[in-house]
Amino acid sequence: MKTLQRRSRAGNIARAVALAVGLACGLSVVATSASADGGYQRISGEGSSWAANAIDAVRVNVRQFGITMDYNPSGSTSGRKNFLNGTVDFAASDIPFQFAPEDGSAPENPAPGSYAYIPVVAGGTSFMYNLKINGKRVTNLRLSGENVAKIFTRVITKWDDPAIAADNPGLTLPPRDIVPVVRSDGSGSSAQFTKWMIAMHKAIWDDYCQRSGRAPACGYTSFYPTVKGVVAQSGDLGIAGYVSQSFAEGAIGYVNYSYALGVQFPVAKVLNKAGFYTEPTPQNVAVSLLKAKINKDASNPAVYLTQQLEGVYTDADPRSYQLSSYSYFILPTKVAGQFNEAKGRTLGAVAYYMMCQAQQQSASLGYSPMPVNLVRASLEQIAKIPGVEVQSVDISKCNNPTFSSDGANLLAKKAPQPKVCDKKGSLQCPNGTGGLKNVPTAVKSGASGGGSPSGGTSSGGDTTVDGATGPGGITDTGADPATGDTVPSGVDGQGDGGTPEGGSAVDGSAGAVPVGDVVTTTLKRESAGLGIGLLVGLMILAMIFVPGFAWRRLGRRGAQ
Amino acid sequence: MQTKTALPVRDDERPSPTPREISSRRGRGDRNFNRGLSLTGISVLAVMAAVGLFLTIEAWDAFRAVGFKFFTTSTWQPDRRVFGVAAVLLFTVLIALLAVAIALPLAMGTALFIVEVVPSWLRSTFIAIVDLMAAVPSVVYGLWGLFFLQGQIIGLSRWLTTWFGWIPLFNVSGDDPTSPLASGTVYTASTFIAGVVVSMMVLPIACSVMREVFSQVPPGEREGAFALGSTRWGMIRTVTLPFGRGGIIGGTMLGLGRALGETIAVYLIISPRFDVSFHVLENGSNSVSSLIALRTPEATGFGLSALMAAGLTLFVMTLVVNFVASIFVARSRSGAGSEA
Repeated sequence: MKTLQRRSRAGNIARAVALAVGLACGLSVVATSASADGGYQRISGEGSSWAANAIDAVRVNVRQFGITMDYNPSGSTSGRKNFLNGTVDFAASDIPFQFAPEDGSAPENPAPGSYAYIPVVAGGTSFMYNLKINGKRVTNLRLSGENVAKIFTRVITKWDDPAIAADNPGLTLPPRDIVPVVRSDGSGSSAQFTKWMIAMHKAIWDDYCQRSGRAPACGYTSFYPTVKGVVAQSGDLGIAGYVSQSFAEGAIGYVNYSYALGVQFPVAKVLNKAGFYTEPTPQNVAVSLLKAKINKDASNPAVYLTQQLEGVYTDADPRSYQLSSYSYFILPTKVAGQFNEAKGRTLGAVAYYMMCQAQQQSASLGYSPMPVNLVRASLEQIAKIPGVEVQSVDISKCNNPTFSSDGANLLAKKAPQPKVCDKKGSLQCPNGTGGLKNVPTAVKSGASGGGSPSGGTSSGGDTTVDGATGPGGITDTGADPATGDTVPSGVDGQGDGGTPEGGSAVDGSAGAVPVGDVVTTTLKRESAGLGIGLLVGLMILAMIFVPGFAWRRLGRRGAQ
Repeated sequence: MQTKTALPVRDDERPSPTPREISSRRGRGDRNFNRGLSLTGISVLAVMAAVGLFLTIEAWDAFRAVGFKFFTTSTWQPDRRVFGVAAVLLFTVLIALLAVAIALPLAMGTALFIVEVVPSWLRSTFIAIVDLMAAVPSVVYGLWGLFFLQGQIIGLSRWLTTWFGWIPLFNVSGDDPTSPLASGTVYTASTFIAGVVVSMMVLPIACSVMREVFSQVPPGEREGAFALGSTRWGMIRTVTLPFGRGGIIGGTMLGLGRALGETIAVYLIISPRFDVSFHVLENGSNSVSSLIALRTPEATGFGLSALMAAGLTLFVMTLVVNFVASIFVARSRSGAGSEA
């Protein structure tokens, strides 16, 4: 009896082993066939979380060509460092290599001529916030640059501060604490943000630098210094995740615009030099970056194509957004370490895709497509990757919304002018921003006598239209196929430039694009979530009860 | 049936039996087995020593640069040569102690429940559930803490500080419980939340050690207690707990060791801060391992050396905890109390 039982148990074990081996073999067969597809090698990249949504979209899209690309959005500093260490094949960074960091951190010394920059995506660093008045979410907050600087340096610590009230005559903000949320990891967004603060509000920054114990190294920094009351989170996703939690009322953090769209939260409109409060829509970013000074010295790869943004900060165009910037790929131009020509071929294919096909979906993600001159320059840079299959890309076929026959940036040209109610001093627009474009916020009527008449009929008209469509669109998203239908037409409209006449009309349709997109994806996610939830529940039950029953079974058999 | 028994008859013809010579010489198989075991044992020690040596060598630069100030400085700016583990180490210990304080009663209760109360056919299911907790990766606990627990636990934190704020440990500066608009954010990303999450990870380890020991309680003593009219609780108090004291201490210390080194869950939850503070409910915390996880990707040269120094500190501290644990366990060996 005993031997028989032992034999049957041994048989079971043998069967289980066979099954496991078979599974492993099957998996490895699948894996090898996938990697063999198209002859592409798996490549890995690391860096900017600011640009990660755009890069991740590319990662998903190049899978159709059999390219497996890993991207780890662990922050620009980490990306550059691991590129230097040779542990990743390419890096994504919002700022170039830091040869002489101003914040006292160790200098980075890449070997000269071993790398090249290509700008891959443009976007705005937005200030996403979580604020409610009487339990209703505020979606139309406006902030001057000075107030932004003061909020992130703990000079202004309450939402009902008179300085913020001056920006928002239409809102009665609560006496709630402001909780600034900053990056805890080394981040290009922190670097760009502090650079902007130093250029525009140096005294505020210097004072903060002293208070945070960072002095005397008070230059711009990838490591945002913290004082009491400042919350630090890792990555754009960490900040967006923290600010969007229900407990985080009063929090405000700096993230790329795409993250605010992703979690469906509003962003603050920031005052520009022309006296208008703007948000970093793809169009506004395109306008702003016309003023970015791009280094044209192709003979010096250490600076070629890098950006000087001082012109953007002081741009007098009413549509400009001050914190617009480009983010870069750092590509290897020499074979070294684990990077070889086979990987170079794959990386080249990804880079070509990034510069051409990927640009047409940038706007729907919340980024701004690259202008034609930078795409051309980048395509030349890609040819320097060792092992690359040089493609002669017909730029006009990329469907990039910025391209026009005369070389001007079409997206910037067609960018709508801001509404009258966005002007400094006027009663603010009720329209929502960022990921809650369709949710207006009620504005105090008649708070400032001059405001609403100066807004005139156009402002009043906008209010009613938005009020009618906005909430309706949100409440019956579930069954309404109309929302789903508007998405592709909106995308088309944007690609072609949309309706040529009427600034506000273009604004409306373009604004609807990302929102519609987000709504449909969350719907899909929800229905999928139910199935997955059931599956997970079943698995957990199985894990809990199967061992118990199996034990009893075995025990009974042993007793026989 | 009856069998005939015969007394042994003395047989003088046979030679008297000589006792077999006792030799301590072992057979070849035994010797090989012995050698193999010693080799694995020594290699464990060798690996430990190698880790310590490597850390010391790598950390040497950092220690030489700041000397003893490494243990009294609380900021962390290695590139400016101003850095130390005073605050980080304090938060690490606070998180670990909190985790153990929460996990210890839970683990003990669970272990007693499984051993003494649960009907035997359900026992394996309960064991599987607890073991399942150990199998969950710590990043999952971290995400759970970050996205679920953090929002739910604010009420408890607020209650604690409202009523026990006079104890410095539970004090939260910058909070006004009387204001309806007070933000919950002052209670988030705190040492307390990190401690609660880590306690969930410590629980299964501590529980399984205790369960193992409790189940070895001699059934005779147990039944003896029942026979003397003891209730189940009386039996647990007088037999199981004294017998399992070593297991309780050992499991707790093991959990403490795990809590000290927990990385990713703490990394996800806390908002790093670098000033000395005992306010566990307050926003901001830190830990050596999460500092290493946060800074290593970005550190170059000297910064890495400073992180190695922090790692060495943690390594030594964990070793000390484990040694102390083993001393305790050896002194109060299981069953020692019940034999008296």
